Amino acid sequence: MAVGKSILNESRDIERAVALIQLGARLQVLEYETSLSYERLLRLYKEVAGKSPSKGQLPFSTDWFLTWQPNIHASLFLNIHEYLSKTSELEEIDTVIKAFRLYNDQMTASAIEPILSVTRAWRLVKFVDNGMLTLTKCTCCRGNFVTEPYENRHFVCGLCQPPARAGKGAASGGLRLH
Amino acid sequence: MDSEQILAEIREANLTYLMLAQNLIRKDRAEALFRLGVTEEAADLLVMLSTAQLLKIASSNMLLCRFRVDDDLVWNLLTSHNVKKVDNATTTQLHASILMAGKFAESMAAH
Repeated sequence: MAVGKSILNESRDIERAVALIQLGARLQVLEYETSLSYERLLRLYKEVAGKSPSKGQLPFSTDWFLTWQPNIHASLFLNIHEYLSKTSELEEIDTVIKAFRLYNDQMTASAIEPILSVTRAWRLVKFVDNGMLTLTKCTCCRGNFVTEPYENRHFVCGLCQPPARAGKGAASGGLRLH
Repeated sequence: MDSEQILAEIREANLTYLMLAQNLIRKDRAEALFRLGVTEEAADLLVMLSTAQLLKIASSNMLLCRFRVDDDLVWNLLTSHNVKKVDNATTTQLHASILMAGKFAESMAAH
């Protein structure tokens, strides 16, 4: 086998990069998940999105996924992701892309603002792979929710037992309790 | 509804379901497994069916698609019945989606 760049792999990488850009992924995700050069990704980004990618660091903290409303969105996404990775043999990044599309579908169908971005969804999967976050079964509804590892045995999710301030934010399009 | 009409309606529903299933599986197999909630084996079988087979299978006195919600809690959430702390329809629907996605992942893992 000739060592070097495979055209087929490159075409697959471009296809993935385009899918990710269309879903709104940040450039760092593309750099991590494809072997395309930074310059090519930048050109591709401008071509597909029609603008330059936003700059700045990626969100790096696990805290966001544990706050009430984001936790519900993150949990739905991760349950779909688990489902896909258990039923189909896909490359990790393709599982993220497909799971995110299905999550987005559900948001459209329920007319809910999709507050989980594809970059955050990708980040969430990385956090879970590294054991920084995990899915824990709620003792009340038996659903799986994103939590820190070693959550206690009597864990109850934010939907069975909403925290005091939940659903009272001023932002429109947010989830409500009543 | 007389029995002839019942048969015709079941056939119609079966045909719509089978054709939709085939289209979904052909478009994206992994996504289709999630949307349909069927096993890989079932998906492989479904996608192989010819139009003649499809028509034949659809003509039955039984519906081919099964009720997906087999859990009282999920059903209550979907219909917003008997839900105490949260009674917003959108939020309870989201709760039901999480439970359904999780449940099927578990049943798949058992295979």
